[in-house]
Amino acid sequence: MPVVAVNNIYKRFRIPHYKKTTLFQNAIGLIKRQQTYEEFWALKDVTFEVKQGETFGIIGRNGSGKSTLLKLLARVLYPDGGSVNIRGKTASFLELGIGFQPELTAAENVYIYSSVLGCGRRQTERVYDSIFDFAELKRFEDMKLKNFSSGMYTRLAFSTAIHTDPDTLLIDEVLAVGDESFQKKCADTIYDLRKKGRTIIYVSHDLVSVGNLCQRALLLDGGRTLAIDSANKVIEAYHRSLQPHD
Amino acid sequence: MRELWQYRELTWNLTVVDLKNRYQNTALGFLWSLLSPLMTAMVLFLVFRYLFEQEPNFAAYLLVGLMSWRFFAAGTTSAVYAVVSKPSLVTKVYVPRQILVLSNTVANLISSIIEFIIIIPILFFISGGLPLTILLFPLIFLIYFWFVYGIALFLASLYVNFRDLNQIWEVVSSILFFLSPIFYPMSAIKGAMPIYLLNPITEFIIVYRNLMIYGNLPSLYSLAIICVAAAAAFMVGTIVFNRLQRRFAEEI
Repeated sequence: MPVVAVNNIYKRFRIPHYKKTTLFQNAIGLIKRQQTYEEFWALKDVTFEVKQGETFGIIGRNGSGKSTLLKLLARVLYPDGGSVNIRGKTASFLELGIGFQPELTAAENVYIYSSVLGCGRRQTERVYDSIFDFAELKRFEDMKLKNFSSGMYTRLAFSTAIHTDPDTLLIDEVLAVGDESFQKKCADTIYDLRKKGRTIIYVSHDLVSVGNLCQRALLLDGGRTLAIDSANKVIEAYHRSLQPHD
Repeated sequence: MRELWQYRELTWNLTVVDLKNRYQNTALGFLWSLLSPLMTAMVLFLVFRYLFEQEPNFAAYLLVGLMSWRFFAAGTTSAVYAVVSKPSLVTKVYVPRQILVLSNTVANLISSIIEFIIIIPILFFISGGLPLTILLFPLIFLIYFWFVYGIALFLASLYVNFRDLNQIWEVVSSILFFLSPIFYPMSAIKGAMPIYLLNPITEFIIVYRNLMIYGNLPSLYSLAIICVAAAAAFMVGTIVFNRLQRRFAEEI
C-alpha cells in the first residue's frame, strides 16, 4: 500500500490580463462580457506513488511545476483533475515558523506553531523539553521572539516542526538554513526519520543532496513527467534535458 | 467537523492571539474598547431621551440594544479580514480554513460577553433589579453566535476575491444600524411593521431586551425567526466558504 498516491493530477492557473479585484470591476466586466484571462496548466497528468519509508525527490527547472506539486500534496492547492491521497499525518515544510508571533515568548510560540501543525497541547507538553534541547535554546524560552536572531528563529521552528511526529514530511529546500553544524543536525534528523520508516518527499535544486537522500525521484518539465526512476538515473536524465537540443 | 475538533487547539490559540493583540498593547486596553460604546450610549441617551420618553427605562433599552448590536457589527466587520490577514496559514500549510473565521468570531463573542457582564451591574442599578429570565441569556447568545459566524464566513471568503467588500459592508452595516430598533422605540415604526420585523437583528435585539429588562420569555415567533436566521446564515456561509476556499491560495 503506497502512503502517497498521486493519480493523473492536473492543475490550472488562470492568469488574468487585468486582475479584477473588486466587486465594482467584476460588475463592469460582467456587463462588457469579456473573458480576460489566459489559462496555464502548471501540471499535466502527473502520476506517481511513494511507499512507506521511502525518500522521494522531485526535481526540475524553475517553473516546471515542482512547487505547485508540493502545494497540492500539502493540500494548500486543490487539483483541477485527478486525485491526491496521503495516509497518516503530514507535515509540510514549505515555510518554517508559520503563525509565529514576534510579541510572544519562544515557549508560547512553540505551542502556537505545534497547533498550526495540528498537535494538541498535551502532545506538545510531552516533547517540550526535547524541542528546546534540539534547538539549543533552553536558556531563551522566556524571551520574546522578536529578540531572536534569524538563526535562532529557524532552529526553534525546525525543531518544533520535527517534533510533531509526522508520518510524511514534505520538504521544500528549507534545509539550506542555519550554520553548518545545524545543517548537519538537520540532515542527521532526516536520516533518523528515514530509519524510523517515515516517508519523505523532498523538492530541491540541489542535485547532490537529492542524490544522497533520495531512493527514487521524479523529473518534471513544463508540468509533465519526464522521468520517474531511481534518483541517480533521474538526475542523469535531468542533466541530459539541460543539454541544448541538437 | 471532526477535523475542526482536531485543530481545536489552533482555534483557541488564534482566538487568544487575536484578543491579546486587541487589548494587550494598551494598559487599559479593554476599558478603552468599552468606553466608546458607553459614550455612544450616553450621547444617544442625552439626545433622544425627550423625543422617546414614551419608552419606559430608555437608558436600559438603549444599553442592551447597543451591546447586542455591537456583537453583530464587530463580528462581521472584523471577519472581513479574517482570511486575508493570515496569508501564510492559507498558502504555506494546510489547516481547515474555517478556523481563521471561527477564531475571529469566538474572539468577538468573548469580548461581547465581557461587555455584557460589565453592563449587568449598570442595568441592575438603573432598572432597580434584574429579571430572572436573564439566566437564559447564554442560550440566545449561542443562537446569535451561529448567525454572526455564518455571515462572517460569507464575508471573509468573498473578500479574498472582492477587495472593496469592506467598504460595501461598512455602508450595509450602517444602514442595518438604522433599520434595527437600537436607539428608537419599536413604536416609532408604524407603517412597515411586518417587513421591518423580518430583519433578524431586530428579533435578536427584542429577545435580548425581553430577557434582560422586561423579564419576558421570547415569543415563539421571535424564536422561530432567530433560529431560522441563524441556521440559514450558517448554511449559506458554509456553502459559499467551502466553494471559494479551494482557490484561496491562488487568489490571496
